[in-house]
Amino acid sequence: MPTDTKRVRGPDVSQSPFLFWSRPAEVLPSHEPRADGRQRDQVDVRPVFVRCGLVSQAKGSAYIEAGNTKVLCCVYGPRETERKDETDMKSGRLTTDMRFAPFSCPERGSWIQGSQDKDFSLMLQESLQPAVCLHRYPRSQIEVNVMVLENSGSILAHAVTCASMALADAGIEMYDLVLGCSLRQDGGSYVVDPTYPEENSWRSGSREKRGGLTVAFLPSLNQVSGLQSDGEMAEETLTAGIRTCIEGCYKLYPVIQQALIKAVRRAAPPAAES
Amino acid sequence: MRWLSALTDNMSPLRLCVPGEKLCSVEDCSTGTGVYQRHGYIYSSLAGYVLRKNEGEELPVISVVRETEAQLLPDVGAIVTCKVTGINSRFAKVHILYVGSTPLKDRFRGTIRKEDVRESEKDKVDIYKSFRPGDIVLAKVISLGDVQSTYLLTTAENELGVVVAHSEAGAQMIPISWREMQCPQTNAKEFRKVARVQPEYLEA
Amino acid sequence: MAAGFKTAEPLEYHRSFLKENCRPDGRELSEFRTTTLNIGSISTADGSALVKMGNTTIICGIKAELANPTAEAPGKGYIVPNVDLPPLCSSRFRPGPPGEQAQAASQFIADVIESSEVIKTEDLCIDRGKLCWVLYCDIMCLDYDGNILDACIIALLAALKNTQLAEVVVNKETSVPEVDLEKRQRLHIHKHPVGASFCVFDDSILIVDPTAEEESLSTAHLTVVTDEEDRLCSVHKPGGTPLSGEKLQECINRATTRQREIHKLIDKVLDSVKTSQ
Repeated sequence: MPTDTKRVRGPDVSQSPFLFWSRPAEVLPSHEPRADGRQRDQVDVRPVFVRCGLVSQAKGSAYIEAGNTKVLCCVYGPRETERKDETDMKSGRLTTDMRFAPFSCPERGSWIQGSQDKDFSLMLQESLQPAVCLHRYPRSQIEVNVMVLENSGSILAHAVTCASMALADAGIEMYDLVLGCSLRQDGGSYVVDPTYPEENSWRSGSREKRGGLTVAFLPSLNQVSGLQSDGEMAEETLTAGIRTCIEGCYKLYPVIQQALIKAVRRAAPPAAES
Repeated sequence: MRWLSALTDNMSPLRLCVPGEKLCSVEDCSTGTGVYQRHGYIYSSLAGYVLRKNEGEELPVISVVRETEAQLLPDVGAIVTCKVTGINSRFAKVHILYVGSTPLKDRFRGTIRKEDVRESEKDKVDIYKSFRPGDIVLAKVISLGDVQSTYLLTTAENELGVVVAHSEAGAQMIPISWREMQCPQTNAKEFRKVARVQPEYLEA
Repeated sequence: MAAGFKTAEPLEYHRSFLKENCRPDGRELSEFRTTTLNIGSISTADGSALVKMGNTTIICGIKAELANPTAEAPGKGYIVPNVDLPPLCSSRFRPGPPGEQAQAASQFIADVIESSEVIKTEDLCIDRGKLCWVLYCDIMCLDYDGNILDACIIALLAALKNTQLAEVVVNKETSVPEVDLEKRQRLHIHKHPVGASFCVFDDSILIVDPTAEEESLSTAHLTVVTDEEDRLCSVHKPGGTPLSGEKLQECINRATTRQREIHKLIDKVLDSVKTSQ
């Protein structure tokens, strides 16, 4: 095993105390209300708290909180591109980096980026790219950095929303905002904007019709820019799920609009009228 | 704050928008900055204030503006302020600090080739007698460059060239001709491609 | 055109303020930026704190895990502090393994923990020679505007004071640990180390709590860490121009008053967190 010489190291092996917790396993029936009081089978998203422009060093930044899920995103650039090839000369490059703080999940994460982080980074990039007017930034790259401070479910969806707000806060030209929403299908029932425990436990016994879905959506252009799903879902369940997620995005839209407008007002109060 | 005065000139009430918001039909306005056209409509591409400006008989121009001017990138024809970071016999390397009067948040690199230093006697140009590292230079972008190179800049105009330079003694020098500057402490003269500074740049 | 002067000649710009005994952000030379604390906001961590000093923002999350103690120290647990400076916090940091500055900061925090005895590793022992706690103290910068060391120490101290460890009983027959996450106990904090950082300008002018720009223009850096008994835990001066003993004493005096202010602030915020629960 390669040793990490650039960090203060602990013991070679350590285990989470969760593993030794002798709590009787709770078996919850499928049609009970959700633990946080939200409704199943309805577009019941968690209320979000959003703020723009918290990080002084970044060109633009945004913070989103949904339940206990906490995500911070910073945008840097446009700056001179690091990698150079022909396409960069005509249009800019969008780079994304999504990371989880080691304390963000119930199990402690490693400092070293796992494949999961890289998958998330790529999905984030694919969801955002169609919305950014990259042709306006020749020879440049725009960097999107996302840090998950606490993961309490639907992390990719909230990262997408947060990143598009940070891009707008940075004054990067975009065709539209990008909003994210997740859904968890379990048998005949589903939950929207699932929490971490809901994402990681199954209620019904059968393996069929179980899966997760995250949609990235451009609300004004009415287009889906990113779609990620796992598990087994029938075609009609999936299309219904996408429709539900889009509805979830529209619920989020006014909150995001207001936060961005507030940030513009704060940066330049409309005092010029007098 | 140039745009603030633009706001006062214009009598339409202030409206705020976010990227993707439909602003009007292309028949009502022509496109300014911070907006784009799609299927016959004009949409916002920025979060900011919507600005409608009437210019004569034509359609009013619609733009979206923010507290800072839209992210400027050095573009062909733009006047930029830069700092010389290195020189050799063929070119001077610079960091672009400003586009017009807007500071760049991130640093962009540029090159002033020997043949682009001045208009006349291009073959006799000596880079060492034109720039020194640390000089502040006013230049114009002539090309975005290709894959290998950086932005190409020129100082081949009377108004372009060195505006601030320090002598070997460390004092800020005073221009005495288009090719010489003098140190106020030691009275030593040094060669530079000096800019004939326009009044609006003098305050800097 | 003050902005132009600032970008083209940053050092001259700062000097012009220092001459008048003030700084570009309006502070006096010995004035810290407003410091605010938020404790226990991360529910997935066993203890957490977010510190803001001006723009500089640091978050510290502590995760406790179980491990076997080393053969050399069978009665001790582990504390593993790491400082991360991700590219998110400033354009000066690139993605990849920790750079020099992050490594130096991690080592500095580890040294402060050891020399100040903020917590005793003996307290982390559960079953001598068999089982102990590991405290992973992950400190992350979210907004880099200078003086991260002071902010890291405050974040660490506040997070440690917020940490609660689960009750663990080792089953005598099976020697398997039994954990009860619902019964939790606070850590015993022995000392309260707090840092104060300084920058030296032009070899003679001393300023406290530098911003990122002041740090980059100064000729030397100094961090002094003291505890509530005014004991020096650490004096850290990595290179730079020399400093007279007199000036150093000045710094130490400033550090001890800073210790009192921060100690009070942490207790106040912890009280408000407890009463709101």
